[in-house]
Order: sequence, then structure tokens, then C-alpha cells
Amino acid sequence: MSQGVVDMNGRRERPADADASVPEVLDQVRDSALRLIAELPRPPYALRVRAGDVSVEVEWNLGTSAPAVTDTLPAVPATVDPLTVPEDRHCVGAPTVGLFYRAPEPGAPPFVTVGDLVRPEQQVGIVEAMKLMIPVVAERGGRVLEIVKDDGAPVEYGEGLIVIAPDDDG
Amino acid sequence: MFKKVLIANRGEIALRVARACRELGIKVVAVHSTADRDSAVVSYADEAVQIGPGPAKRSYLHIPAIVEAALRTGAEAVHPGYGFLSEDPDFAEVCAANGLVFVGPPAEVIATLGDKTTARSLMDSADVPMLAGSMAALPTVAEAQAVADRIGYPVIIKAAAGGGGRGMRMVTDAGDFGRAYRETRASAQALFGDARVYVERYLAPARHIEIQVLADQLGNVIQLGARDCSVQRRHQKLIEETPAPHLPAEVLDEMGRAAVRGARAAGYVGAGTFEFLVDETHDFSFMEVNCRIQVEHPVTEMVTGVDLVQEQFRIAAGHPLSLKQADVLPRGVAVECRVNAEDPERGFVPTPGRLTEFVAPSGPFVRVDTHGFPGYRVPPDYDPLLAKVVVWAPTRHEALDRMDRALAEFRVSGDGVRTTTDFLRAVVRHPLFRSGQHSTSLVEQLTREHGNQFRRAA
Repeated sequence: MSQGVVDMNGRRERPADADASVPEVLDQVRDSALRLIAELPRPPYALRVRAGDVSVEVEWNLGTSAPAVTDTLPAVPATVDPLTVPEDRHCVGAPTVGLFYRAPEPGAPPFVTVGDLVRPEQQVGIVEAMKLMIPVVAERGGRVLEIVKDDGAPVEYGEGLIVIAPDDDG
Repeated sequence: MFKKVLIANRGEIALRVARACRELGIKVVAVHSTADRDSAVVSYADEAVQIGPGPAKRSYLHIPAIVEAALRTGAEAVHPGYGFLSEDPDFAEVCAANGLVFVGPPAEVIATLGDKTTARSLMDSADVPMLAGSMAALPTVAEAQAVADRIGYPVIIKAAAGGGGRGMRMVTDAGDFGRAYRETRASAQALFGDARVYVERYLAPARHIEIQVLADQLGNVIQLGARDCSVQRRHQKLIEETPAPHLPAEVLDEMGRAAVRGARAAGYVGAGTFEFLVDETHDFSFMEVNCRIQVEHPVTEMVTGVDLVQEQFRIAAGHPLSLKQADVLPRGVAVECRVNAEDPERGFVPTPGRLTEFVAPSGPFVRVDTHGFPGYRVPPDYDPLLAKVVVWAPTRHEALDRMDRALAEFRVSGDGVRTTTDFLRAVVRHPLFRSGQHSTSLVEQLTREHGNQFRRAA
């Protein structure tokens, strides 16, 4: 008869050391339990580990913690891709990833509102990234048609912020 | 384990890290430049944030944008991949200051090991053998020349803030030393913002052998064998393999123990690689430590069965390593070829462009790490690595035959796009490489023998 058993990972299991003391066995069981918990995808509700005749049982509580199924999708925020605006429109894109601010500081009037005329190089907003305040500058002049993003909205680099009807020749 | 991780990288490694996250149940945030908006990792990730325009300085190297994206998406940790910010101690520090776990060593360790002069003296104190040379930077040409004259020519002048084969000059003649010293300082300043240089004995021919190390936050440090990366072109690796052919087991064991000693001495945490040069008498000397996951990590994974990126996440999350040294039992041979979008017939000039055809090799024991796909546009803004073809076999001879088979299957075409697959096949078939007796001068030799002509074999 063979001395040991080959487990599903192809490793030969050593027969249990009959001379191991109880504290040593407890340590081994505890270490195995901790390793197992660390490897599980989600923390279990209950874990039972037995050493004699080997046994591991893990339970997850699925009942009350299952997420409720919602039947409405979250609102998709307005996004304008500056690459796809029509030719008679110019879209000012975010100069960096961060938070878009419409005013120079909280409580102050916004840089621009719909209907305003802006000059080329005029500052029309701020994007904050890591406490750096990066100015948003209109590359072309014209009339402000739409403020796409709300004050304080998170934006990606290049995301459309303000749509202008340019008054130059492009 | 982390619930959400931001991957601060691109290309094949971003996708590879994303796959490890998926297997660990970690949500993936991919950051990308405008040039990468259609890239593979962007479609694979759970969330994507565009952080800047094509140029890396304003995207993948732009710390505020990356940290902002991490905070905005609620990522708990940041995996830096390789290259870019992976060995930038400032980035590691900024992450820590913002409550983000940087998947890598602590900032101070990166800083110490990133400065090649402090790294050398640290390793010296850990009894890691190294080449004769200076332990400190040499601020004047007189001091530098004195070191060179003492240790004997040829010598190599290296940037203290450099690494990866960049910012170095070889000097064979004492008469050329002054000019080489000034030029190296100037390019070091331009490349790394730090003009400090040191001098080392130049070893050639030599083999570049590196040891993979894993160290957790609980004091466990293990080594997972050696990789031979001697097939290089202008200090850039092309083919890597494990185990290192024809190196006696005692030498490999010595190197492994030296790497573990060095890792402990440095307080290393994470996945790291200790690079050595090995000469014809099998004496080895410390070169540098790479404080990141490396491009060629798959060959170690293939022979050990260990997922190194998953281990990185386990370590960063404070878990113990999932294996002990006695569990590291490499088996067989693994070889990796880096397929770049370059034209070997025109001096390896990069060939960006849209891929019309992209069929990667497959079949038994073949792994391909790539971000390529039909229709993908290879951008000009980044390094030209397109795919890593990795094979495993029980013996080196079978592995190289398998690699030849795999490279022959690899079909890539596009307008103006070329790849290095034919060139790699020529190396894989070369008798010197097959014999395992090659050194870092192999590619130069091959290029001389065949000119720049690498025709597809019939």
C-alpha cells in the first residue's frame, strides 16, 4: 500500500505526523485557515476547519446581502466629444483629468455663461487635478452656446466642456 | 485583497496586469492617453479614464493626472507596470501621501536602488560580488581617470541615475577617457537630470543573468531562478530564457543566495530582479536591481507555475507569499521573444501604423502577451513592443524548435508595419545561440554576418 495520497495539484501528501503536539497542530490549522481566507474571493460567513480525517467547509451568506436588482439605469452624464462636433461649432476640451470649475473660486460669478462672447485665449474655466488649478482656455473666439459640464463635475482629459459658435474663419 | 486597482501603464503589460486583477476579483481602472483610446486594456477594463494626449510626459508620466484618476475612481492601489513611473520614487511617495497603495517597494528603497552608486555600496555591504570600480560618483575627470587607470581598461562609464543600458560609454583607451567622461556626464544630465557618473570594469564577452526575487511585508524573501537575457541589441533585450543554459547549479545557487541577501539588505518588498554579469570563468558580478515586474517575467512563470503579478498584489495587500523557497521547483525550459513593430532591414526603425492582419501563434505550451488585434493602430508615441511570444518545453532544444514554429505562425501586416519575427527566427536557428554558448555580442555578430537581410524562410 502506498504511504501517501496524491492531491489534485499533483503533490504527494505526507502522512500526518503522529508525534505533532496539540499546539503545533493548532498552529498549522490556524495558518491554513488564514491562508484560505486570504485566498477566497469574498470574506466568508463561516469557516470550519478540522484536522483529523481532514475537512474544510466554507459558507457564504447569499440571502440577505444579495444586491437588489434595479430596473432603472443610472443617468448617463452628458458627454460631448470635441472630435465629433459639427464644423460650425468649436468645443473647448478639458486640459487635464480632474474637477471642472466654472468660476475662479467658490461663490464667485462664473467665467462665462451661455450667450457670452469670448475672445481667443480667454479663460473660460478651471480644471483641478491634485490641487493644481489648470486654466481652461478657449482656443477660438465666439459666442458661448452650451456649458456641457456642471460646476464640480469630474472630467477626463479632452472631454468637452463648453461649446462655442466660432466667429473666426477657423 | 484590493477591490479596485488603477493600472498606470499601457500596452501588453497593462492587459496582463488587468487579467491578474480579473482572476483576483479586483475591479480594473485603466488610464490612457488619447493615442490609446482604442487600446485593448481600455475595452478590457471595468473603467477607463483618459488622462492626457499621446506624449508620455503629459499622460503616462504625468503624476497629477494619474493620482487624480485614482482618487476620482476610488482605486485603492496603483500598479505601475514596467517603465514609465514604475521606478520613480516621487510617484511612489505621492501615492502613499494620497492613501494609495503603490504596488512595488517603498519609495526610499526605490530611491536607494535607483541610484546605482548607493545600490552598489549597499550590495557590497551584503557581500554581493561586484565588478571592480567606484562605489561613489566621480565628480572630476581626474578622479574618474584615476579609477579607470587603477582597475585597468577597458572600462565603462555609467550614469548613477541611469540603468537599463542607457547613458553609458565604453572606453578602451586611456587617451579617450576624458572625452567619454564629459560626454557621459552631458547625456546623463540630458536623459536623467543628474550628471553623476561612476566607473566600472568592462566585461566582454559576458552573459547577462538575472535572478527573480519575491519579498513580502512579513520578512519572507525567496528567489525563483535565473533568466538569461544575453540576446540584446544595443542593450535592449530581444530573447530571454530560463534556466540559464550551461551554468552549473552551484553558480546559480550562489547567485540566488546573493540576490536574497541583497534583497534583505535593501529592505526590498515586492517582485524584483537582481541583474548580474557572468564571465567565461562563471564568476558573477552585480549590475543593478530592477524594482518592478519585468518584461520577461513570463518565462519564470512558465517554469515555476507562479503568477508573479498576483504575488505582487498579495504582497501589496499585506499577505504572505503563497509559496516558500522549498516550493519553488522549476521544470523544463521557457523562452520568450519580444516581437517589436520595427523593420530589421532598415536598421530596426520603428514602423507604427494600422494592423490589417494580426494572427498570433497558439497551440501547445505557447503563451502570447500582446495588446495587438486586427485593426489596432500601433501609435508612434511609445516603444515598439507589440507582442511577447513565450513557449515552454521539457528541454531547451524542443523549446527553441517550438519557438521557431510559433514565430512562423505569427502573421502581422499593415500599411508600412513591419515586425522582427523573421529576425528572431534567424537568431533562434543560429548555431551559436542553439549551443547556448552565446554572449551579449551575438546580435551584433549576426547583423555583421547577414547584413540587414532577414528573409522569410521557405
